[in-house]
Amino acid sequence: MTDAEQFEAFMRNYQNMVFSTAMRLVANEAEAQDIAQEVFLKAYERFGELKDSVTVGGWLRTVARNMSLNHLTRYRSRWSFFSEMFTGGGEEGERELEFAAPEDMEADIERADQHELVERALQKLPPAQRVPLVLYHLEGLRYEEIAAKLNVSLGKVKTDIFRGREALRKKLRSQLGEEVRTV
Amino acid sequence: MNHDYEKQLEAEIERHFRDLPELPAPACLVSQVMMELDRRAALPWYRQSWERWPMAARLSLVLVLAAIFGAVCYGSWELIHGRTFAALSQQMTGWFSPVTALWNAVSALVNALGLVIKKLGTGFIVGSLAALALGYGMCVGLGTVYIRLGMARR
Repeated sequence: MTDAEQFEAFMRNYQNMVFSTAMRLVANEAEAQDIAQEVFLKAYERFGELKDSVTVGGWLRTVARNMSLNHLTRYRSRWSFFSEMFTGGGEEGERELEFAAPEDMEADIERADQHELVERALQKLPPAQRVPLVLYHLEGLRYEEIAAKLNVSLGKVKTDIFRGREALRKKLRSQLGEEVRTV
Repeated sequence: MNHDYEKQLEAEIERHFRDLPELPAPACLVSQVMMELDRRAALPWYRQSWERWPMAARLSLVLVLAAIFGAVCYGSWELIHGRTFAALSQQMTGWFSPVTALWNAVSALVNALGLVIKKLGTGFIVGSLAALALGYGMCVGLGTVYIRLGMARR
């Protein structure tokens, strides 16, 4: 097997994990794909040492996570500052969380399973709630680590996660209830 | 916030996230990465990353940089101790005599600009800076509104 073939097989093994990490943080498929591509290009530079490493999965996940957070900081901080000014900050989340019209959702629910509903509800959360929620529940970081990574106070992290959980539960309950009724 | 309620909420969300499968990566991801790697490999060696330079080129560059560093150190030492400063200064004046005229012109321009600023007064300068800052803020604000509207339509 040539180096290129080995690297291709390596990518196929880890591409879903890297893409999922990026996608859940940035909530945008094109951006997540770009980030995943950058992660693998970085991995290629160190493929010699990575291919036999047992911690390669953790390395890829950490790089994907850091790149996603950098991406969010770089491209969104400026306009989110203004958007929070216009919409009154935390209330924006509640507004953005509203799902599409019931008739659209019925069609969606018919072809969606529970995991898809969770993913979709997660992606509709505002970044201020989604990012710490994902870092806590899916990336396994502690509150203190999240606060340090996002450069915000511990209190804000706890509040955002709490609000994110409440918003997510509210929507999931209503969506899952709808699904049960339609079945 | 009620502690029991928080714990219950956390457990419920944890249940939803547990066993959440990985999202499938786009089918084109692997091919895109391989294409990008091919493109990078096709670049001439001097446009690739340092790790990929030929050993001889890396060694040469290290030697050249070491020589430059040594020359700078030696030159600084000589200047500080002043043993050859007068001679060097004379020599430099000879080398840079064509530049002197240009330097004089630039100095005159800078001096004239200084005089103009003094005449205009502090209020005018502060006002100009404030107008610049306001313009910058407006650009950022309008850009933000544009992005938000663009994203809202998706």
